[in-house]
Amino acid sequence: MIRYSTAILLLASTLLFSASPAMAKDKTKAAPDVTFSTLDGKTVRMADLKGKVVLVDFWASWCIPCRKSFPEIDALNKELASKGLVVLAVTVDEERKNADMFLEKFPHTMTVAIDSKGTLAEAFKVNAMPSTMIVDRTGQIRYSHKGYTDKALGEFRAQVLELLAEAD
Amino acid sequence: MALTSVVLVVAAAGYNWAQNQLDLSFHAFQDKRGVTVLSPDADFSKDFSDRTNLKVKFGVDSISAASNSCARCHPDGANNGRVVGSASVTRKYGDSKVTVGGEFSKEMFYTATTGLASISRDLNNANTTVAAGFAFSLNQPVLHPSRQTESQRSMDTYVSLTQSWTKGTVTQFGYELNQINGYQTNPFLRTSVNSVLTTGNSPDARTRHAVSARLRQALPAETFLEVDYRRYHDNWSLNSSTLALGLSHHFGDTIVAGGTYRYYTQTGTYFYKPSYTGSPTYFTGDFRLFPFDAGSVTGHIELTPKGPFLNMPAGSSLTLEYERYRSTTGFVAGIFTGGIRIPLK
Amino acid sequence: MPRVGRVIFALAVVAGLASAGCATVKPWQRGLLADSCMVFDSSAETSYMTHWQEAREGSMGGFGVQGGGCGCK
Repeated sequence: MIRYSTAILLLASTLLFSASPAMAKDKTKAAPDVTFSTLDGKTVRMADLKGKVVLVDFWASWCIPCRKSFPEIDALNKELASKGLVVLAVTVDEERKNADMFLEKFPHTMTVAIDSKGTLAEAFKVNAMPSTMIVDRTGQIRYSHKGYTDKALGEFRAQVLELLAEAD
Repeated sequence: MALTSVVLVVAAAGYNWAQNQLDLSFHAFQDKRGVTVLSPDADFSKDFSDRTNLKVKFGVDSISAASNSCARCHPDGANNGRVVGSASVTRKYGDSKVTVGGEFSKEMFYTATTGLASISRDLNNANTTVAAGFAFSLNQPVLHPSRQTESQRSMDTYVSLTQSWTKGTVTQFGYELNQINGYQTNPFLRTSVNSVLTTGNSPDARTRHAVSARLRQALPAETFLEVDYRRYHDNWSLNSSTLALGLSHHFGDTIVAGGTYRYYTQTGTYFYKPSYTGSPTYFTGDFRLFPFDAGSVTGHIELTPKGPFLNMPAGSSLTLEYERYRSTTGFVAGIFTGGIRIPLK
Repeated sequence: MPRVGRVIFALAVVAGLASAGCATVKPWQRGLLADSCMVFDSSAETSYMTHWQEAREGSMGGFGVQGGGCGCK
């Protein structure tokens, strides 16, 4: 029994504590030239947002941390929209009705776009849910966040203010 | 018994991450041998931060190895309440989660204290999850009517691998190893030895292996298939196979309903006989060690209204479940469960 | 450990290690996997059911924990 247990725990430990693929330092890269389709039927081109600081947040109705991140990012939008921040909250729900049900519970002022086929998520190389990218006025992705923690909103705010302070 | 319950406590802690909630359930168990048990239990899950979750469970029941025997000798009824409480704390470290927990249960003829630790890690963008755990239990059966206290030590190790293959396909493979040393005879059940009804005598060491393979498959039209298979073997030569097949369906946005059929078959232990002669070293009247087959059918429905209801907040749900179990030993049981899940802020 | 169990376990380990090198489901495609019907042991009733079955049958355990679901961070 001890031999079996030891073998199992060693195997598990090897897998569990093996290093994750090395996280590349956030290297600045150009935001993809994509077009967002909003829920009210409009389109927004990424290229047309140059000169603004853009926060792109990928969320879904089934994403439990998004129930916290969505209203907090909306609050950030309310606070900083007048200073030049544009927030695009992109739902990756494959069915529109699921996104609508979520939005009924979370009134919002930020622009919500839909990406049911994952084209935008693919273009932005989303590798976790939720994911948040902050794009500077020149169209470069300066910050990428995977997931949402208690400290995330504070980090987003500080990074957005930093980029808003930069000249075009 | 306690070990698997603790393992499931850990499992639920992992799944319910970032879902603060309170589950209140009420179970009514009745079998053909005269055992009727009403069991309330409460499960509480709370995130203290984005990395730390606490899960606490408390329940009262009387379903144990003793309860079946109480009914035989005390047909007018016997109280053999069992109180069980467990708690676990889970902490996230990047893609890994570490859980430490324990469980304590006490009834008139049995006390069990268990400590558990487990680790899980997500790999491959959470498409693969590896988990492993270890539990140690100190159990104290109390003989009846002598009231002599015996002891038992149990060590349990498990490892599991969960893999998402497609958007609608996920499998899980698990292996569990359990070693029990100490008193393992059922002190309540008797068998015939040389035509005299005698309390059994089981070996003091038991090594148990269980391997499982499970599938969850999304089907068209918001329907889901569940397949669970387990193969069990121990050094008392008891082998069993369990196969459960289930289907669930979403009826609109508020109702999930489904059913499961479970088939179970086991051999008897190497020392099992319907009756004994001579001077057998080991002998048993414990029906759990006999060969038998069993089938059960379960139906369940979960209702989640869109808004608040029955003074509960929006997002609360009501669950009803009924299971009918029948084995070739003649044992028949019906279990009704009603539950409420309340989301917490 | 029974032979069948050894084979299943070995296959599972190999499958897991092999799959660790290649992504299958993208993070934004996990909506179905997050459904309560797709998650293993997602109900509070499972623990009770397992408890009473182990009090009436000779077997125990074998079912693992965690994994699947939304995979959110």
